[in-house]
Amino acid sequence: MIERILRSIQHVPAFPMTIQKVMELLRDEDYSVQEVAKVIKFDQAITANILRMCNSAYFGVRSRIGTLNEAIVYLGKENVIRAVQTSGVSRFFRKAAEGYVSRANDLWSHSVSVALMSQILFKRIYQQEQPVLYTAALLHDVGKVILGEYVHKSFDKIMDLVGREGCSFLEAEEKLFGINHAIIGGKIAEQWNFPEEISTAIRFHHRPDLLEDDKAIFPWLINLADQIGSMMGVGGGQDGLAYRAVSEVAQRFQLRDKDIEACMVQLFGDMEKARELIAIV
Amino acid sequence: MSDVVVGISDLRVSNVRMDCLVTYALGSCIAVAVYDPLVKVGGLLHYMLPESTLDSEKAREHPGMFADTGIPLLFKSCYKLGAEKKRMVIKVAGGARIMDDMNYFRIGQKNLTALRRIFWKNNVLIDAEDTGENFNRTVRLEIATGKFLIKGLGGVVKEL
Repeated sequence: MIERILRSIQHVPAFPMTIQKVMELLRDEDYSVQEVAKVIKFDQAITANILRMCNSAYFGVRSRIGTLNEAIVYLGKENVIRAVQTSGVSRFFRKAAEGYVSRANDLWSHSVSVALMSQILFKRIYQQEQPVLYTAALLHDVGKVILGEYVHKSFDKIMDLVGREGCSFLEAEEKLFGINHAIIGGKIAEQWNFPEEISTAIRFHHRPDLLEDDKAIFPWLINLADQIGSMMGVGGGQDGLAYRAVSEVAQRFQLRDKDIEACMVQLFGDMEKARELIAIV
Repeated sequence: MSDVVVGISDLRVSNVRMDCLVTYALGSCIAVAVYDPLVKVGGLLHYMLPESTLDSEKAREHPGMFADTGIPLLFKSCYKLGAEKKRMVIKVAGGARIMDDMNYFRIGQKNLTALRRIFWKNNVLIDAEDTGENFNRTVRLEIATGKFLIKGLGGVVKEL
């Protein structure tokens, strides 16, 4: 079984080169948005998609944005970067992750909600946004796109393990398939030659406590964002809350109940605005 | 039957026999369903957090977000359609949590506590509830019959 799953990872389409190049630029904190625009403008399909996103209600611009440079002027670089990243990733979520979710768009909504929550948390803790974390959060469940087919076929067995034996969904995946969706996601990111901080964040998003590198904070933040998003039930699937909490996570960032509640209110507002954005896949 | 979807932090009431009020994927949020069988008026609230003091501006915009603003509005909206408190059947679902031995995230429990406090003060009894544990729930309230259906673990549907 595991060999078959690993083979299906190799069939995941390549990540769009243009977005890959943009991500390379973003790793430098003083990236120039002009350089980003230069990379993107040669890719017409992506440019068109980005402009559609920039014109969606999420960004609330009144006049129509027709070019990338206009987008940068009107929306500011952070927003344009967000549109670039979202449009680069959305294509991998066109297919519903059968087995995990019942509605086609659910996994994608969940992914966007975790990505937005990762920024809400990062801003609250470090007073700025973190574009690399945004990409990692957007892709944290990409492994489900592969594993969904297997989960669907073995659904009754999984539910038996979760319902009767008290396994988490992740443990049930490991028992039945010898691998879990987080590890698969990490492997997909490696195959795309993503920076290690992204593949590590995806791979450890349910078990940041297993990380040896104590300084890696992305897996912890995605874990927390994922837990909060799942509790709110945004795009919640069959696996929903059947994951073990890593209880150190909130203490690690010194967040109290009230902080988490305030983050939920903020995410609700962001998701209201992002509805149209999510529909562009 | 036509589905009327109740989003997060939203509430809907109806006296249209064809309607079915639905809310998807309740995690730590709570759904309160109320129904008056005589006039066939029903309402469904999907609130997210216990107390509106957290953000009073948001509470004005979306009273359905909090237990203390959403629950009173749910009842009042049903009274407007002719429902009476003494006849109303009250059912509650949700307030779940992540599998968590340390019980660190208590939002589901706090949501439930807030609801019980409000009901206690107003002398309202819950007729049936399916709360806590760690799975998502989708709930439906049929206006014609008052039937309250819950889809929980593994997609199994039961009537509460």
